Amino acid sequence: MKLANRYNRVNILTSIVVFAITGLIYYVVIHFILTEKLDRDLVVEENEIRQYVSTYHKLPLPASYLDQKIAYKNLSGHVPEREFLYTRYYNPKERENEPGRSLITVVHLNGKAVEVTITKSRVESEDLVRIILLITIGITLILLLSLLLINRFVLNRLWRPFYAILNGMKSFEVARMDAIAHEDTRIDEFNELNQSVNAMAERVRRDYKELKSFTDNASHEMMTPLAVINSKLDSLLQTESFTAQQGELLADVYHATGRLSRLHQSLLLLAKIENNLIPDFQEIDLKEMVEVKGRQFQELFEKDGLSLTADLQVVEIKMSRYLADILLNNLFSNAVRHNITGGYIRVELSSVALIMANSGKPGNIQSKIFDRFSKSADSEGMGLGLAITKQICNLYGFRISYQAENGEHVFKVHFAG
Amino acid sequence: MKILVIEDEPALLESILAYFTGEGNICEHASDFALASEKIAVYSYDCILLDLGLPGGEGLELLTKLKQLKKRDGVLIISARHSLDDKLAGLDLGADDYLVKPFHLSELKARVSAIVRRKNFDGDNIIHFNEMAVDVSAMKVTVKGNLVILTKKEFDLLVYFLSNRNKVVTKNAMAEHLWGDEMDLSDDFDFIYTHVKNLRKKLLEAGAADYLRSVYGIGYKFGDI
Repeated sequence: MKLANRYNRVNILTSIVVFAITGLIYYVVIHFILTEKLDRDLVVEENEIRQYVSTYHKLPLPASYLDQKIAYKNLSGHVPEREFLYTRYYNPKERENEPGRSLITVVHLNGKAVEVTITKSRVESEDLVRIILLITIGITLILLLSLLLINRFVLNRLWRPFYAILNGMKSFEVARMDAIAHEDTRIDEFNELNQSVNAMAERVRRDYKELKSFTDNASHEMMTPLAVINSKLDSLLQTESFTAQQGELLADVYHATGRLSRLHQSLLLLAKIENNLIPDFQEIDLKEMVEVKGRQFQELFEKDGLSLTADLQVVEIKMSRYLADILLNNLFSNAVRHNITGGYIRVELSSVALIMANSGKPGNIQSKIFDRFSKSADSEGMGLGLAITKQICNLYGFRISYQAENGEHVFKVHFAG
Repeated sequence: MKILVIEDEPALLESILAYFTGEGNICEHASDFALASEKIAVYSYDCILLDLGLPGGEGLELLTKLKQLKKRDGVLIISARHSLDDKLAGLDLGADDYLVKPFHLSELKARVSAIVRRKNFDGDNIIHFNEMAVDVSAMKVTVKGNLVILTKKEFDLLVYFLSNRNKVVTKNAMAEHLWGDEMDLSDDFDFIYTHVKNLRKKLLEAGAADYLRSVYGIGYKFGDI
């Protein structure tokens, strides 16, 4: 829920409740005051009747004045209490029943009790109350409406710089050098936010640049001694005065330097894919590439007596040829490396997915199979191949999955994510 | 052949020079930008080995310089930067090949030989070695005039051996040469053995002397007995 909406909801709900309560209080109080006034008028009338009775010893005429009616009734026996009550009142002029307020009182005339009912029309006070109520409701509605309008137009405009900054942050890329776009605003908070965001972006960029140049330099500096070791080993080998034992030691050193440089290259490659620094994006005939790769691996298949079956359809896909090559390399190497002697490899390619299945030792499933440096204990690899494969898939929105069943290991690359 | 090695790392420079010197090769070297550009301007080389990160200047600028001088020296870039951009930029500027550090000296030699062969290609691109003649462009091998039928891998292997005559070539380097270093190969290069064995057998059958020797189980040496 957006802040403005949330604020709106609270605001409007509170306003409605407050207006309802005030309206109610208003209504009750005014009603009360008007009734009080009517009652006072009724008492004045009563006093006049009493004075008339005590002066003239007779009842005044039960005349109907404007909006007022007096009625007499001789009482016998029971004498009622003096009381105010709401009644209906027939207005002869308007010829209709109107709400009224009556005072029933008892006057003693010549030793006889006479019940006097004075009734006044409540129409005016009712009207007044109604008008007041209508005005209150009207004002409430107008206020609510203006609140809504303010929220809708003013708040939206007020928040625009915020959303501009937010969009800028969303599209922020550490590798690009442009500042985060913002709208000029007179609102201090947004200006401050904008400054902070840009300062943060600047810091992140600086750190990133430092880290990147460090990685570049480290890679360069590491490659150079590695190149020296390699070349010195090659030179050493030419001197040819080694015993078989020394030869074995040399082989081990070769082995280790080879691994080190491959490891280094793999890590650099991973970093490059992560930062999307591989530019050559093109249409690729994947079927042809798989076939070529199969031929390239021929010797490795033969060595372990593996058989390759392929069911390939023509699939064109858009990606870097270089990365496609690495992807296939890794899948094939993996299938060879984790196979059993005399086993099989099955490749299926359709427009939906590339499936790579191979026989292997059952039960060495690892949930972290795509993590860096995760590998089975007997693996000769570095544990980076599948991490790179996964990274390549991520880059192009492919989804890679792994399943192992009955000694068959299956990797599936779904092209449509 | 006449070679200029432009490399600022003394240890690496020394190894390269040691590996290339001999067999009638003349090797010169430069370890900074100024010296390198001077040598390039004054002399002509069959091949220039160019390191991109040089003290005093960017190696790629030397390529531009060569182009301006209208020189036809072959250029092989050797760089620690494993970047596609650098590679494309280098090749665009007229470099013949690009090799990423660390590399095997045998691979370097093979690449340089290939460049030099291509540059000096005058009608025939044939490597002669004793009774052997290897036509690189036609991919034909003859021993004492007899045609030897080799597979693509065996042929590549033979050319590789001939470029590294009398040197010990490791199985590792051979595998990388034949299958590319992008291929995540296992460290067990026994499958190389099959190719070497077949190549040797075919050459022997055609009447060539046995030039191939296995060395310490690490690699092979092809050369005069």
